[in-house]
Amino acid sequence: MPFISQLIGRAVVDAEGILLGHIDEVFAIQKPAIQHPVLVSLAVSNKHEITYYPFSEVTALFASEISLAHPEGSLQRHEPGEDEIRLIDDVLDKQIIDTNGIRVVRVNDLEITRVNGSFYVSNVDIGSTGILRRIGMGKLADWINKVFPKSASSNKISWDFVELLVHDQFMRLKVPGEKIRELHPADLAELLSDMSHHEGRKLLDSMDIEQLADALEEVEPEFQASLVQEMPDERVADVLEEMSPDEAADLLAELPAERSEGLLELMEDEEAQEVRMLLSYPEDSAGGIMTTDVAAIRPGLTAAKAIEAIRDLEPDAESIFYIYVTDEQEHLLGVFSLSDLVLAKPGTLVSSFMHEKVVSANVLTKQDSLAQLIAKYNLLTIPVVDTENRLVGMVTADDALDKIIPTAWKKKLPRFYYYSRA
Amino acid sequence: MMKKSLRITLKRWAGLPVIRSLLLFFGVFGPATITAMADNDAGGVATYSVAGATLGYPILFLLLIITVLLAVTQEMGMRLTLVTRRGLADLIREKFGVKISLLIFAALVIANLGTLTVELAAVKVTSAMLNLPIIPFLIAIILIAGVVVTRGNYKLTQAIMLITSLFYLSYIVSAVKAQPDWGMAISNIFWPHGVDFTPAYMRNFLLIGMGVLGTTITPWGQFFISSFAYDKNIEAGKIIYSQLETYVGAFLTNFFSFFMVVATAATLFANHIPLTTGEEAAMAIKPFAGELAGTLFALGILNAGFMGLIVVSLCTAYAYAEFFGLQGSLDSNYKQSKPFYMIFILQLVIATVIVLFPGISLFKLAITTQTINAIALPLVFYYLIKLSSDKELMGKHANNGFQKWFTVISTVAIFAASLLTLAATFFPNLGR
Repeated sequence: MPFISQLIGRAVVDAEGILLGHIDEVFAIQKPAIQHPVLVSLAVSNKHEITYYPFSEVTALFASEISLAHPEGSLQRHEPGEDEIRLIDDVLDKQIIDTNGIRVVRVNDLEITRVNGSFYVSNVDIGSTGILRRIGMGKLADWINKVFPKSASSNKISWDFVELLVHDQFMRLKVPGEKIRELHPADLAELLSDMSHHEGRKLLDSMDIEQLADALEEVEPEFQASLVQEMPDERVADVLEEMSPDEAADLLAELPAERSEGLLELMEDEEAQEVRMLLSYPEDSAGGIMTTDVAAIRPGLTAAKAIEAIRDLEPDAESIFYIYVTDEQEHLLGVFSLSDLVLAKPGTLVSSFMHEKVVSANVLTKQDSLAQLIAKYNLLTIPVVDTENRLVGMVTADDALDKIIPTAWKKKLPRFYYYSRA
Repeated sequence: MMKKSLRITLKRWAGLPVIRSLLLFFGVFGPATITAMADNDAGGVATYSVAGATLGYPILFLLLIITVLLAVTQEMGMRLTLVTRRGLADLIREKFGVKISLLIFAALVIANLGTLTVELAAVKVTSAMLNLPIIPFLIAIILIAGVVVTRGNYKLTQAIMLITSLFYLSYIVSAVKAQPDWGMAISNIFWPHGVDFTPAYMRNFLLIGMGVLGTTITPWGQFFISSFAYDKNIEAGKIIYSQLETYVGAFLTNFFSFFMVVATAATLFANHIPLTTGEEAAMAIKPFAGELAGTLFALGILNAGFMGLIVVSLCTAYAYAEFFGLQGSLDSNYKQSKPFYMIFILQLVIATVIVLFPGISLFKLAITTQTINAIALPLVFYYLIKLSSDKELMGKHANNGFQKWFTVISTVAIFAASLLTLAATFFPNLGR
């Protein structure tokens, strides 16, 4: 199998056998339809002078000399484009993300495969044989691969499962992150914490708003703040709109006051207003940790209509264990659980199966008292009301207990508590 | 659970700027202090003991220089890692390619193996002095080190290393028991005085001074601080606290070195008792400083050896993982990071076999190790300075002029001095 390591420094000759120079760089392009980048051009250096030739001129690549199709004077030249990847400078020795195993590994060599006259990068070699090949012990590497075929194949990753990490501005990859899109936001957050800030930002730049919001919600506010530090304001504002209001408020609280004010100005009025309200409450009060994403419906609906109404609201998964019942002015009237709703006959009115004695907290209730309420009544979420008993938000058990129970303990607690009537 | 009122009070405290800063500081605390403490490994303690016994208080003058040099270089490695989210070995591989990486890794493996052997030899000699059964004791120490690292996680290893660091306090007791002239000791930090500066003394000062420098500022120390800080996952935003920690670590380690030197200077130098090996110090100071001081001194060497074993062996394992792109983290389990843990254990086993083999000259081994370290150090510093001065890589955190030129000049000075030392070691009659 041919490898890119065998090409480094190899002599290049024209059709008449005259030496043109030695290979300095190999360029490839990742085309959207094909999983593997195709080799497009060669950089040939001859005493500090570098000439680029397209691959269409190459007649024999893996030979003792690389020969081109025409005499020197009539050879086509090539100007490497922005989207061409430098395989030797920017890929070899660098770290890549193996999206299959979700780990960061180092590229020791690249395997080249010829299909229909074009050369493609087929596999990434991350094993020790790749290193041997790089220091000129290719024969030993081949021998080892023959004796241990199993380890040879386990040290190769198909380019399908590879995502390049963007190292410095030299990186010529236009759209990183194609495969990253399919990762879970939590995995993505973990990868982000493995990268340098520069790379992390590049990766964030390549993601769409929704994805970005999901990933940011998975990391700590301090880290969030450092990630968005150099992002343009418009983009950050879009992301903030996409995030749940309480997360957005947390992030804004970490940013310098001037910047967060500017961002709030840029956000849609409705979202900005909610976030502003959240920011106005003390950090350790119910108002400070509540989310305004709360499912509330009217008491006059039937159970069947209520289910439809909830579907239309599309609340976050974490927030629909309890559904709160309010009147037109948002006054909190009652609560029912999803099981209440499912068990009720389709025709019964919400007001007849809801519980009217609702345990609620005021926006200024301290976090400690909140946690106590939640523990005492075994709640999953607790509604938060203003001084006139209008529903303004709710706090999940998770968030209320957050600062009181160390994270390590929280993981050991069961995720769902038994629901008892409030 | 704590009482509610207490909890609230604690929370209010945590909100205060001063306390918040302190909490953040302790959050990043660990890597730099452990690296600096391990620089005073068994070989280090032995060198400082010989220095105090042969040269008296004036050698303390070097401590100030060593502290600054250690602080500046360790800070560089720490900053490099926090900004780039990579270890020093990672960066060398990425920026300078596979051949340089292999070369440095080979030098590191050999030098570290040598250091480990010196470490174990010191443990062997000292345990014999304390009438401990040598072979079972060595095997027990290796087993403990192996179990802690392979079965435990980052936090446990860090905690054990930090607790181990506390044992350096024993040198303070030894020094106090030796009833030194504190005025002389402290004033000698700032200017060397109080002895006859004969040519023979100056020659010894250079030789032993270089030895002291060489055991404190090491290639493995540069790699280890970077890898260990990387494994801790410190955020770049906390860089200022980590920088502070490197200074604290450099100060602490030399603070303890001070007492090691004082303990032997006040007893052995004052009474003209020569030392050939550092381990003898524990025995030799007994008549002057008492049984307790001697025993504590010996225990201190054992402890330093244990710490050195783990840190140096981990250093090679980390470097291997970084150079060759494998998983290598104390927080991963044995299965995930098999090569990483294998390298760690293998080195300890090889070093143990070498030490238990009677025919091998430990003196030659120590000299060889020192030679490789002396040659590798400028190479490592070259890459460290080049990388941490790289504006593209480091942005606003790149080295400033002072940091860069101070280390460049120090590197050249260290290299020149180590060449002199080696020349003097191989040709004992040179310049006489």
